Amino acid sequence: MIDVARIDHWAASGTGALHRSSTVGKLVFLILVVTSAVISRSPFPLMAGYGVLIALAVIAGLPWFKIALLSCYSALFALLYGVSLRGGTWFVTLFVLKAVTPSLAMLMLIVSTPYPRIFALMSAVLPEILAAGLFMTYRTLFILLDMMDNFAAAIRLRGGFSPGSLYKNGTNISRGIAMLLVRAVERSSKLYEVMVVRGYNGSMAEQSGVTLHKGDWLPVGSGALVLALVVLWK
Amino acid sequence: MHIPDGVLPVSVWMLGFFIMLLAIGISLFRLRNMDLRKKIPLLGAVSAAMLVAMSLEILPIAYHINLSVVAGILLGPALGFLAAFITNLILALMGHGGITVIGLNTLLLGSEAVIGHTLFYLFKQRLPVFWRAALATIITLFMTTLALIGIVALSHIDPDLVRHVDEHKAVAAVQESISTFAIIVLSIGLIGWLIESAVTGAVVSFISQVKPDLLGHVLHREQSNRFSRSDR
Repeated sequence: MIDVARIDHWAASGTGALHRSSTVGKLVFLILVVTSAVISRSPFPLMAGYGVLIALAVIAGLPWFKIALLSCYSALFALLYGVSLRGGTWFVTLFVLKAVTPSLAMLMLIVSTPYPRIFALMSAVLPEILAAGLFMTYRTLFILLDMMDNFAAAIRLRGGFSPGSLYKNGTNISRGIAMLLVRAVERSSKLYEVMVVRGYNGSMAEQSGVTLHKGDWLPVGSGALVLALVVLWK
Repeated sequence: MHIPDGVLPVSVWMLGFFIMLLAIGISLFRLRNMDLRKKIPLLGAVSAAMLVAMSLEILPIAYHINLSVVAGILLGPALGFLAAFITNLILALMGHGGITVIGLNTLLLGSEAVIGHTLFYLFKQRLPVFWRAALATIITLFMTTLALIGIVALSHIDPDLVRHVDEHKAVAAVQESISTFAIIVLSIGLIGWLIESAVTGAVVSFISQVKPDLLGHVLHREQSNRFSRSDR
């Protein structure tokens, strides 16, 4: 399960070099890493690039092992795709690294940037309904996760889980999801009304500049290093 | 299953981006007169529910429920497509699914919402709510899995990937590799579709009993028809 609450905690509480960098600087870093993964034709520079990202995560005080594990989720499709191409280990390794390297870069961005900063940047380019929808989704996600914990405890206490009874368990879990959905809509509506009353008009109050500053040398330099490895390592 | 970055050829994901932008444009145009106060919280709640469902993985097949057909039924095709975009954007931020392939991932998930909604509406006179939703889900997931295989087939024709062999061998290798991919995805998917259709059927059926106004796009119409018939 994606631990959104923990990711949010890491983003808000960290004080490392990446936390001090600007959102734009980290976005440039992400673009450079994604470009490297797209143009790479060999697994070795990407392997080195992945190592550079891990080193950056360690330097920046990020939970490198946990985010490296999370980045492996994207390997599943790449693995299937690589196997289907029947190009052997070389091809499979290349596709897996093409998937996990940008995924790690993205995770490094998200665990070092509080979500209002990311959404503020996005709301500058997205239409109002999408920016508001994105924000409401993120807020409601926490409400839902909290409600899910309570629901799991309640269903256990009331004997809702019966080992071996797939039908009963399935029905109870499905009804639980439906109930959560109904309550999430109600809570979300109240939250949105409160936000509107307080002056929310579809844009985030936090506005970050779109210029790079001195502290961005680390993410931008690391991204450039990964790209250089891919371009120069033939 | 979410496609990660770097795997598909640039031309394929660029095309995905273009079609997604077009579909978002059409969705926004269709939603231009909607009541934001009612729809945005619903959009947020349904997208968040999709994210929570997607984060619960069913082991050992690594399948997760999408609730995309539920999104289509509750939100309608236009808002359902936007929910798919928001869900994919947040998933990409969490490292699940790539940034460059947001277009393709959104098209796949969004088409589940659109097709699911359409089928649920088409079956309305014939089946009870549970079976309508379940059947709509299973057909929808089958169609979108075929679309995923289609995308992979399209990307396998990347000349850079097959340039090391001659043309005839390359064509044979491509066909063979696509059928391998199709067999793997369809066999894993089948178990997942059954789980997803049962969950979708139960969720929609429960909502239709507890809070039918949430199913505004389909059941509302039925209710208003029933009321207008009884009025007459």
